[in-house]
Formats: sequence, C-alpha cells, structure tokens
Amino acid sequence: MAGISREDRLAEILAKSLSELLPELGVKAERLSELAAPPPQGEGTVAFTGFASADLRGSFTLVGPTALFDRLHPLPVGVTPRDLADWARELVNQAGGRFRSHLLDYGVSLALGVPQSAPGEQARPSSRLRSERPPIAFAIEDMVLEGWLELDMNPDFEIPEQPSAEQAALQAGSVVFF
Amino acid sequence: MSNKTILVVDDSLTVRQQVSLALTPAGYQIVEACDGHEGLERMHANGGIAMVLCDLNMPRMNGLEFLETLKGDAAGPPVPVVILTTDGSSELIARAKRAGAKGWIVKPFQPDLLLASVRRIAGNPGS
Repeated sequence: MAGISREDRLAEILAKSLSELLPELGVKAERLSELAAPPPQGEGTVAFTGFASADLRGSFTLVGPTALFDRLHPLPVGVTPRDLADWARELVNQAGGRFRSHLLDYGVSLALGVPQSAPGEQARPSSRLRSERPPIAFAIEDMVLEGWLELDMNPDFEIPEQPSAEQAALQAGSVVFF
Repeated sequence: MSNKTILVVDDSLTVRQQVSLALTPAGYQIVEACDGHEGLERMHANGGIAMVLCDLNMPRMNGLEFLETLKGDAAGPPVPVVILTTDGSSELIARAKRAGAKGWIVKPFQPDLLLASVRRIAGNPGS
C-alpha cells in the first residue's frame, strides 16, 4: 500500500476486513472497483458503528438491501425484521472488530462504539457521507453491499505502509484459555 | 436449576441464539442477558450458573465492567467467565485475564469449538 493516502490505506484495511468476513457467512463476495449504477432501490438496511482513538475518529456504515442481510443471517431459522435489525448491528460489529484487530497490527488502537441499525425504504447513507469518498462495495449474488468509511484524523496521524511482522491481535475464531 | 446452566451475556439476539443452538443439543441450559447489568441480575437470581459467556462491547455495562464487578462481588464462589467478542486485542485480553476471565473466544466462532470450550470450563451436563 505504498504511495497511497492515509484515508485510502484505512479504506483498504476495512476492505480486507470485509473480504475476510463475508465468505465466513457462506457467500461469495466479489469486490467491485466502482459502483456502475446506483444500488437497487426498495427496502434497505443501514447499520453503523463509531470508532475513536486519540488522533483518529470516524464511523463505518454498512448499507444493503434488507434481503441481503437476510441472506447473510447465520441461523437456519425464521428471521423476523427485529432479528434482521439485530443481525445488521452484529455484522457491523464483527466487521468493525476485525478492522480494529488489523489496525492493531499497524500500531493503531481504536475503541469501537455500540452499533446501531435502521431498516427502511430507500435507506441510504447521508449525502455528506456519500460526498466524502466512494464506498467499498461487494457484489453478493445479485445484490450489492456497500461499506462507507467516515474519517476525521489529526494532521500528524500516521499509519505505517506495512503492518508489523508480529500479529498484535488474536484472529477470528481463535480460542485461548488462561 | 441444573448446575450446567450457562449464562450468555451479549447485546446481540443473533449471537445469543447461535450460542443456544450450539449448546442446548448437548444438554446445557441457557440463561440470557443483553448487557452487563442484566447479566449481574441473572447471576443473583440464578444461583446455579456454571459458567458465563460474555461479550465485551455492550451498552450500559460492557463485558470488562461486568467481569470487574463480578470479581469484586464477594457473595458466593467465583463463576468462570469466558469472553466471547469480535475483539482480539492483547491489551484487552490481558485486562480480562487480570480481572479473572478464564478464556477468550474471537467471533465469529465455530459451534464445535464453543461446545468444547464450555465442556472444558463447565464440565459435561449431568456430571
């Protein structure tokens, strides 16, 4: 990731987090280099979480058709709208947790907020968020999941070009006993 | 109440259901709480909790606050707590260990590994 901005470096770390997480939910997710057309309209779900460190703050938002959150739901049982709203929060929490763990490998330690979600017709991120940077988008079956990153960094915040050789965090699925 | 009752403290209904689906077929009973405050209430109301699986990032009272409060609660024998979280930070793991946690599992979890972890800490149901 040499020669790219701090913002793009952080976005790529978030994209890596989603690229790892989505297949674990039993789907094939293809990263889209750009959104060729506006995402399908209709019933959608927005889920987001905030994060902060001493010199980096922001939020991470997942947006997609509600049917996609249903497709990603891990349980083989009937899913209600309440279940889907809960699952959307957990999904953004798991993606955020993985983002946080990867950032630890770069020496950046974040605190994550408690996630929130909202379903609704035409659910979209705010125009301010859409104006800042393009989303990290994945095609999953015939639907699109968008990840939107909002960043507010102190001018002297730096992130190394490469992670440390030594992993600073346990990876997903790890089990340790004390 | 069975002495192999597992308290699951997590603000995600989905995760609580996942844990229940992994453990109840093996004979464990599940009690649920959606944050640390409710977890403490469940602990006080149910004397036979064999083990706690606890998330970290929750509203009202997070998992570390729950653990530290539980450690300071002198009433009754200590109940083993395993943290079940998306977070793998060594700093938080060290803090949980100091507060008395018995283990750490990073989500998403494999149901068979979760069951094996519960068997190791809480023992088999009926034993």
